[in-house]
Order: sequence, then structure tokens, then C-alpha cells
Amino acid sequence: MGKRAHGQTLGVAVMSAIESEGVVLGGLPEAQLPAAPLRPRRAVVRGAAHRIAGVVFIVCLLVFMIGPIAWLALRAFSGLWQYPQLYPKDWTLSGWRQVFNDPNLRHSMRLSFEFAPIVTAASTVICLPAAYAFSRYRFPGRRFLLISLFATNAFPKIGLYISMAGVFYSLNLMGTFLGVVIVQLIGTVVFMTWIPAAAFSAIPRSLEEAARDVGAGPLRVFFRVTFPLAAPAILVAMILSFLASFDEAQGTFLVGVPNYITMPTEMYTLVLNYPEQVAAVFSILLAIPSVVLMAFARKHVMGGRLAEGFQLR
Amino acid sequence: MVLPPVAVIAVFIGFPVVAAIAYTLGRAGGPNSVVASLGQRQFIVQKGVTFDAYRDILSNPTIHRDLWATVWVTIVVTLVVVAVSWAIALYLRLTDSWLARTISALSVVPLFIPVVIASYAILVFYASDGFIKTVAYHLGFHGFPTLGYTLTCVTLGEIWVNIPFGVLMMSSGLNGVPNNLIEAARDSGATMPRVVRSILLPMNVIPTVIVATFTAIYVLGSFTVPYLTGPTAPNLLGPSMANFFNSFNQPQQAEVLAIVVFVLALGIGAVYVWANVRTGRRSGLQS
Amino acid sequence: MSATDIGLDLQHVSKDLGGRTIVDDLQLDVRTGELTCLLGPSGCGKTTTLRMIGGFLVPDRGRVLISGQDVTTLSPDKRPTAMVFQNYALWPHMTVFKNVAFGLRLRKLPKAEVKERVEGVLDLVGLTHHVHSYPARISGGEQQRVALARALVLEPKVLLLDEPLSNLDAKLRVRVREDIREIQQRIGITTVFVTHDQDEALSISDRIAVMSGGKVEQYADARSLYREPATTFVAGFVGTMNTYEATVVPGGVALAGDLVVPCGDLSATGDGVWEVGVRPEDVRVSLDDAGAAADVLREVPRGHYKELVLRAGPHELRAFVGSDLPPADRVSISFARALLYRDGVLHRSATPVPAHS
Repeated sequence: MGKRAHGQTLGVAVMSAIESEGVVLGGLPEAQLPAAPLRPRRAVVRGAAHRIAGVVFIVCLLVFMIGPIAWLALRAFSGLWQYPQLYPKDWTLSGWRQVFNDPNLRHSMRLSFEFAPIVTAASTVICLPAAYAFSRYRFPGRRFLLISLFATNAFPKIGLYISMAGVFYSLNLMGTFLGVVIVQLIGTVVFMTWIPAAAFSAIPRSLEEAARDVGAGPLRVFFRVTFPLAAPAILVAMILSFLASFDEAQGTFLVGVPNYITMPTEMYTLVLNYPEQVAAVFSILLAIPSVVLMAFARKHVMGGRLAEGFQLR
Repeated sequence: MVLPPVAVIAVFIGFPVVAAIAYTLGRAGGPNSVVASLGQRQFIVQKGVTFDAYRDILSNPTIHRDLWATVWVTIVVTLVVVAVSWAIALYLRLTDSWLARTISALSVVPLFIPVVIASYAILVFYASDGFIKTVAYHLGFHGFPTLGYTLTCVTLGEIWVNIPFGVLMMSSGLNGVPNNLIEAARDSGATMPRVVRSILLPMNVIPTVIVATFTAIYVLGSFTVPYLTGPTAPNLLGPSMANFFNSFNQPQQAEVLAIVVFVLALGIGAVYVWANVRTGRRSGLQS
Repeated sequence: MSATDIGLDLQHVSKDLGGRTIVDDLQLDVRTGELTCLLGPSGCGKTTTLRMIGGFLVPDRGRVLISGQDVTTLSPDKRPTAMVFQNYALWPHMTVFKNVAFGLRLRKLPKAEVKERVEGVLDLVGLTHHVHSYPARISGGEQQRVALARALVLEPKVLLLDEPLSNLDAKLRVRVREDIREIQQRIGITTVFVTHDQDEALSISDRIAVMSGGKVEQYADARSLYREPATTFVAGFVGTMNTYEATVVPGGVALAGDLVVPCGDLSATGDGVWEVGVRPEDVRVSLDDAGAAADVLREVPRGHYKELVLRAGPHELRAFVGSDLPPADRVSISFARALLYRDGVLHRSATPVPAHS
């Protein structure tokens, strides 16, 4: 009880303490500063200074985080816009028309929306059992495998793709749909295993045992007890998979060219060869699924599901 | 149950990595034959190994500059991401206000945006006709430098991309510190800065290590951000690799660079594993 | 009682949290060296009260005084209180020694003195080994001792314990609470102990404040709390109490259903309907038919005594009787002592009602 309110008092105390150390994180009423009764005038000045510093920090963060995206979004609708004008002279939708009338771009959009769900589904099917095994069983080599999984993440992707090309040639996967799926899948394996594994570990074994006790078989226990409880984390992992696949460009380019050019792959060409406005429009389009999905899963991502997965146990 | 992903990893990552190492050491057989048959300026031996490819590329002055650029950008980005995410997470842990919620919402925005878009947006934002230059111009700084296509722009871009992970990890770690541990320290006479130093900092070592190592590894191997926002040379090793492969048609040299980055990343990764194991021992959770 | 005798004084303290008044105009004084328990069900405001004494919450109204000094708005690090937290709140990254030494180090004491004092206090709580172990590696009972040592090492004026035994198993709980009491008396420290376990409260406190709805219902020593609970809430919360609506008749009380039970000692007298409370040990059971008739529903052995569940008319009663009472289906009951409540408050008249023969 009173946890929240207590957090607030604590917070105020911390704020003042931290600020008196010179680290300014935001403004707060000077009356709550401990030094206030002793040195009233200086405290007032300091309080005001802190409030200003806090606002400056927020503004800087806002500009740094949102600025680039907002600026780009503005470009997507701008006509003539010359430096150093703060906003475009006239507005137009010509960039949008150009994108939607270009068959290449339309095709790449369709391809992206085909690959991402397939890769996500494949990754889920392949990785979930492994995640469960990592969390529930202590088998020899478990830690070694977990660390190896991590190590694969450390090898630079470009180097990997170049070398992978050799393997793909010999397996006749170059330029095929399956090849692109595999190359995108590779980038999702690590977190598709780690995040659900952490979620499975967080479920008390007794919940599963209780279900077994009332007569449920192992599969039923998994689908009726374990899976629903781990669902938020699995959802986060799936969304990250979807986005990783949707976002993947170099591997897809190397393996898929010339048959399969997805949106992010197209983006590289676009940046170099098209008017800025078209690239801006295409960027907005490419960002839509991510924004929708992440907004959907925001609560779970913020709730630590993502972070949990990165502790090696 | 573990077999399918392990098999996928082994066939499509493990095997290629081993092949890549063999290729850089001069062995062009097996899976390397296709690449080797197309590449130029290769150092091939039939028996034993040769380090000529390493010698060739590591004596290249351009690569030296790229290597230093990579190391510096990695260090700066890692330090900034750790510091900023610590500050934000600490603020979020200790306050619950609209300000805190706004900051927390702002700091995860990049998670929503594909890296290609982010890189492009950042380039445009800091370009010669971008927002920063425009605002600087209106504020009277007519000679404000253009950041687009510089290593500074790469650094800013990498920070932008890595902040959400940092904030999420740090927040999760700090939220895992129970309130009563903080209160117990206050009760013992600790001021708030002291609580941060003696309780929150040491109890949040693992998340800090995770953020630092993953950020560093990400930056070391990154391609999109430096490729789109960085200068032609010196740039990070990611774009250099792509250059050696695509533009110069020297796949062996590209692979050598990949191995160099891999070795650096593994060194950083070792810190992550060590920190996890060490903490596991102390808390009695050793598996 | 002179002012300096009062180690801790809460004057008209109130606290609102989340739009609800959790602690409501609370008055409490604890004498120097006294152990006071705050006893009550969860949500009664006892922990909030403790946190206001410790400085983790600032009262909305009222004052907190320690040895006559106003500490109402001082932060926890600036007031002479030390808290033992419910889950011990030991810092997992510090060894036992470092946990205890933390507060001393903050005060920049010389190393030798820190070592001496830490070892002294660990000795006091009976923890001489495991000094350099991490908290995760020692048992719950030992963790509890470390938490106590960490609080005591700073030689606070007031020791605060927030349900310190709730994480221990039943046997250990009894031992540790006796240890706590023993240590508290040895060093003579003013102590406030929060618990919801009446057994705990009755066995170690000098005085107990029973709380309900943010107010103190009764503040008294264990014996008077049990023998003369001031309100029906206290009567029901501390120990077992048979309660009925009844009227006073000559020689006894008349319960609903025209059941007249003879009663030896009534706390008050007067017309009208009372709430009558009778402790199970005050229910006299005999095999003759001197009192009111009752059926034995159940017999529960309790070791050296047994508990009878009886039915008399429409009423159910519990009685504690000696193990030597032979089993029977039908018995006769009378009350040795009954407490009379009106509007939830105990009424006591100076002259007891003459006993019925």
C-alpha cells in the first residue's frame, strides 16, 4: 500500500539530492529542495536554474529523438523547399503518386509483406521448442549452446553473407524464395530463443505440475498453461522477428537479387537515384507496419519482456 | 527440441564462419570455391595456411584509418548510450510524473523505426539543407558545420538507434531493485547520491554490461547507419567490407575485415559472459 | 510520567494516500526502553504509521517526536531511527559484514572501530560465523539476524521492526521473537514492532496498540488487552470471544431464544440490549444441571486442555475445559465472567453484579 505515493516522495528526495550533485535531470519546485530553508535566495535561483535545465534536457531529447522522423515526414509532403527556409513553400502529394504508380516499388512492398510473416512463423516454429528446452532442462552443453548463439550475433553480417553465399550456391538457394527466407531467419534466431526462454523460466514449475496433476498431458499443459502465460514475451519476440525480417536489406539483396527486391533493399537504390521526396514517402510507408506493431506491443516491451531475455542464465 | 535452431545456426552460420576463416587463411576449396573463382587479389595455398591476406589488408593505410574510426565511434557511442540510458532509467526509477512518462516514451521511439529509415532520416536531418543547419542559420550561426556524411553523423545515428535498448535494459534492471533496499540504505544514513553509488550502481552491473557489450558489438558490425550517413573514407569497417566485396571484388579481404571485427566483438562478448557467470555464482543461482 | 521518559511520541498524526485516509489522527507514546507492538489486520495503517516514524513517509497532519525532539519532516538518513524490513532488505551485493558496516562507513569511522562495532553487534545477535558470506548463502533466520544487527549497529534511539518474522517458519519464529525481545531488553532500546500476529504481539510486548481503520482501538499491556478488550473489534481480534446480543437479568444474562445463562461477573449492568462477550475459558462446563443446557457438537483436543464446541438454543459457543472432563453429549453451562459492550465500546461499572448462587 502507498507504494506509488512513496515512490514519489523518494523521487523528490532523489531529484533534489542528485541536483545538488550537479546532475540535472529535470525541474522541480524549489520548496522541496532540502537546502531551501537555509539559503532561501540561492535556493530559488538554483531551483529556477534546474527547472530551465530540465526543460532544455527535454527539448534536446525531443529534437534528437523525434526531430529526424518529423523532418522526414515533412519532406514527404513538401513541394519546393529551399535552404534555409524553416518549412516548405508549397505542399504536394506528387511523391506519393510516384511511389504508388511505380510497379517496381509496388512489387517490393508486396514482397516485404510476404516475407516477414513467413519468416516470423518459421522462426517461431523452429525456436520456441528450443527456448522451452533451454529454460526447463539442464542438459550437457546447455550453457555452451547459449553462448554460441550469442557468438553468432557477434559475427558481422556482411562477412557472414559473403561466406554464406558459397553455401547457398552449392545448395542452389541463390535467387530463390527459400534462400531469402533462410537469410532473414538467421537474424531472428537469437532473440526468438532468448526472450521466450526467459519467459518460460519465469513461470513457476508448480503451475505446470498442478495441471499435470489434474490429468492434463504434457502437450495440453504446454498449450493451456505454459504458452498463455508466456504469450506476451513470445509476442514481443515475434514482433521483433517480423521487424527484423521486414528491415533486413543486405542479406536479402545478396541472395534475392534479381528476383526478390524487398522494400528496404529498394530503399538503398531509392536514396541514391530518386528525388528526396520519393525516398521520404517510401520511408513513411516502410515505417508504418513497425509503428503499428510496436504501438500494439509497447506495454509488454516496456514491461521488461525484452530486457529479461538478455540475462544469461 | 534444441536441435532445429542449433542445426539452422550450424549450417547457415557456424559452417560459413568456419569456411570464412579457412578462406582468409588461404584455403579456397569446398564452399569457398564459388566465391574464390570470382574474386581478385586472392592469397591461396593448397596446403597449410597463409596469413598473406591479413598482411595485405592490415598494411593498407585506408584500412588503418577505418579501423581507428570504428574503434573510436564504438567507444564514444557505447559510453554515451550507457551514460544517457543510465540517467534516463534512474530518473524513471525514482519518479513517476508526466515528465518521466514523456521521457520514457521518447526514448523508445527508435525501436519503432526500421534502421534504413532511421539512417536516412538522420542524414537528411543533419544534411547541408537539414533541420540543424536551418535552425543554426536562423539563430545566426551561418557557418555552422554540416554534419551529414561525417563520422559525427554516424555517431549520432548509432546513438539514436541504440538508446531504446539501453533504456529498456537499464530500466528493467533498476526496477528489479526492490524499494526496501533503497529505503534500508536511506535508513542507514545514506544520501540519495550515495544510494545510487552504493546500492543501485553495483546492483545494476549486469544490465550495464549487457548494454555496453551489445551496443559495442552492434556498432562494430553495423553497416546501414555508417553506409548511409557516413563519409566515403574513413568510415566504419562495415561499409569497408561491403566495398571490398562489391566495388573492388576482393572477397578475401572483405572476409579478413569481418574476422577482425568478429575477434573484437568476441573480446567484448567475453566480458558479457564473464559478468553473467560471476553474478550467477554470487547469488547462488549457478546452473 | 515525565516528558523525558517518552522515547517516541506521535501527536495527532494523519496520512492520506491515494485519496484515502490511511492513518487518522493517531496518538501514541512509547516510553524509553519500551517495546510497543502495532497490531492489526492488513490495511489498518500499522505499516504506514511505522513508515512515518522511520521518515519514509511524511505525515499530512500531526507531529512525530523522538526524545522530545520534533523529527516530523526529517528524512530517514537524518533521524535516529533504524528499521528492520519485512524481507530484511539485505543488499545482495554486499557480504554480511559489509551490510552491517555500511552505515558506519557512511559516518567515516576509522576502520578498526568499524570492525570492532560490527563484530560486537554480530556477537550480540548471535551471528559469529558467515560474517563474510553473501546474504543469498545464509538461512532466513540468519538473514533476519543480519538485518537486526544492521539496524542496531548505528545505536538508534528507536528501533522499528516491520513484520520481521513473517518470512520464518513457525518454530523459528517463536525462537527469534524471544531472541529479539531478549536483545531489546538487554540494550534497553525503544522499539516499535509491527505485526498482524496476535500471538507474537502478546508474547513480547510491553504494550500493544491494536489498530483498525487508521486509529488505535486500544493501547494497553497484554493482560488487560486480553482480559478487558476495550472495543468489540479488539475483543474479536485478540484471542477468541463468544459474542451475543443479550439483556441483563438477575443473576445472569438472557440470550435470544429465552436462554438464561448464569453469570458470575458482569462488567456492567443496565437495561436494554447489550453485546456480551465471553472468553472460552470463562465458559464453565459441568455435568450437573446447575446452568443452562447445551449440546456438545464437537470436542477438539488441544494438548493439556480441550476445546468444546457447544450449542445452546440457537447459539454456538466455544469453551476451553480441562482434559479431565469426561466426554458427554449434553452439559450445563454458566459464565464465570462476561464483558458488556454498547456501540462497540466496553462498559464497566464500579460495582460488580452480585454472583448468582
